[in-house]
Amino acid sequence: MNPDATLLRVLNVSARYGSIPVLRRVSFHVRTGEIVALIGANGAGKSTLLKVVSGMHPATDGEVLFAGEAIQGGAPERIVRKGLVQVPEARQLFPSLTVMENLELGGYVHGRRYVREHTEQWFELFPALAARRRQRAGTLSGGEQQMLSLARALMAKPKLLVLDEPSLGLAPLIVAEIYRNLAALRQQGLTILLVEQNALGALQLADRGYALEAGRVLLAGSAAELLQHDDIRRAYLGKDYRHKWEK
Amino acid sequence: MAPNRDGESRDQVRLGQLEQLQMLLNRAYLNVDFYRRRMDRLGLQPEDIATFEDFRRFPFTTSGDLAAHYPYGLFAVPLKSVVRLKITHSRDGSPVVVGFTRRDIQLWQNLMARLYTQLGVTDRDIVQVAYNYSLFPGAFTFNHAAEQIGATLAPSAMTSATLQLKIMQDFRSTVLATTPSFAVHILSTLKAARNGRIGQVKSDLRLLLLGPEPVPDETRKLLHDGLQAEVHGLYGVSEMIEPGIAGECRAGSGYHLAEEHFLAEIVHPVSGQPVPAGQEGELVITTLAAEAYPLIRYRTGDVTVLRETPCACGRGGARLGEILRRTDDRLSIRGIPCYPAQIGNILRGLDPSISDFRLLVHRRFGLGDHLDILVARADGRRLAADSRGADLDQMRSTLRRVLGFGARLQIVAAADLPAPGLIEKTVFLDP
Repeated sequence: MNPDATLLRVLNVSARYGSIPVLRRVSFHVRTGEIVALIGANGAGKSTLLKVVSGMHPATDGEVLFAGEAIQGGAPERIVRKGLVQVPEARQLFPSLTVMENLELGGYVHGRRYVREHTEQWFELFPALAARRRQRAGTLSGGEQQMLSLARALMAKPKLLVLDEPSLGLAPLIVAEIYRNLAALRQQGLTILLVEQNALGALQLADRGYALEAGRVLLAGSAAELLQHDDIRRAYLGKDYRHKWEK
Repeated sequence: MAPNRDGESRDQVRLGQLEQLQMLLNRAYLNVDFYRRRMDRLGLQPEDIATFEDFRRFPFTTSGDLAAHYPYGLFAVPLKSVVRLKITHSRDGSPVVVGFTRRDIQLWQNLMARLYTQLGVTDRDIVQVAYNYSLFPGAFTFNHAAEQIGATLAPSAMTSATLQLKIMQDFRSTVLATTPSFAVHILSTLKAARNGRIGQVKSDLRLLLLGPEPVPDETRKLLHDGLQAEVHGLYGVSEMIEPGIAGECRAGSGYHLAEEHFLAEIVHPVSGQPVPAGQEGELVITTLAAEAYPLIRYRTGDVTVLRETPCACGRGGARLGEILRRTDDRLSIRGIPCYPAQIGNILRGLDPSISDFRLLVHRRFGLGDHLDILVARADGRRLAADSRGADLDQMRSTLRRVLGFGARLQIVAAADLPAPGLIEKTVFLDP
């Protein structure tokens, strides 16, 4: 595949919850091999946008093209088979199943043999999980659950990994570890689309970013540009900066 | 279709532009009252623009709109986010202020750095920038971009042509960025020097970058032959950025447009309707990336052609042809733009008894070289003494200060004024 090719193209996507518009004609793209971050405040529409991309929420308008093929309106399972796999917000593991069983479920679309052959690969990336493979997922720490959730998504053989708030509710050290894992996956050629309220972390990891506000994309640029951007710094990079700014 | 410099197909470029356009409309709608009111009046929301055809419903922005919202009415960011201001003029001489955020400055600088690179300028080059910095703040972009690519910068500003030649020789400048008019003046001085008046001048110059005024073919040839250097033009719009919107590559068959940051349309100057591909019309530009001063469908007043055929350099993407003429009566005297209405306003402001005037433009190698202003007074006073009077000197001095160049001012009887209409004289002089 051409490394500069556009893997995901979202074009003019609108979506609503009931009569309330949540996304207003949103367009963005992700090239093969990139990490792209969508940042924005609570309620900006980031998670809905990911759900539309993954087929879990209907778009009222627009197109989602994955590897050049229109996927909007398709069943989530078919979208996963094509290689677009989402790690949901709040992990959504099966708490009463073991780590191993959760992983196996991640790869079920590719058959038992695939699952048998590939589970160990992800234990290498997440050694903390290897030690707990027989432990129930519900008993893991928040960080371990996030890693399991990530590993489960990787079992589905993604071409594009979509993550919704992977740092949510985690201690900074754990977040740093998860970001290190994501950077390692990107080194292996995985393309990643990331939604984060933790804009600083997301932009330090990403190649490019888009800033959403009230269902509209307002700004895009390289992550380095956005990290230096006054509006981004004021809006998302924390209280300290805001205090300095407003002085 | 050949890919552009980033290896993107035409479709990818257009989709990227659409993405940027929607963001621009969102920002303009949220942050600029002028654009929001316009959209509201038309019953448009940014999200109604899903295609470039939809975008054509959006009204044009004119030079008059910019002047009407002076100083900060069209700014899309608070002043604390603006790091540079630039003053320019609307077509009646009213002031216009353009603002730039830190990111704007960096983007435009990157574009200029890319244009340098496209012309083979490297860290081994010595770039001499000979512009009047107050009249052409775009010169700063030449400077910063030269430093960005590691070239050695020699900002020689508007020192005399003799000193420019000395700098060129002593510093061993390889690139000269200046206006076509000043380049011709430098060439004239060089020829005089070679005739023995200030000795033989050696030059390492290999590249001449000219703008913001267009470079007529005859001037291009004259400079190429006289200075033994490649001659390339750059295109900019003072209300956006200059230079950097478009620039020639070494193949020299048009100005490659920075399409990821500027959306160009060619429209019929009267009807405003798009002209068929490849036909000439007025260039209308939307600044896709500008943060501080977004311009949506801005009528540049420049008549040109937009080509999407691959360039001889191998790259695809849109290219502008030469600027063929203006849709308005803008004049350019030694590279400095001015408008008859602007001159009229200055004259009447200085002396309310002035009833009429004519402008006599002297051209040299297709470029405005100097300007005569013939003025008639309502009371018919026309004495030889008038032409030497203190009030006339005062007027000349004010004109020089406001316009940025000196003009010859002469008071004549109304009956002696030539028939209305711009008069142009071509001066044939050996440069």
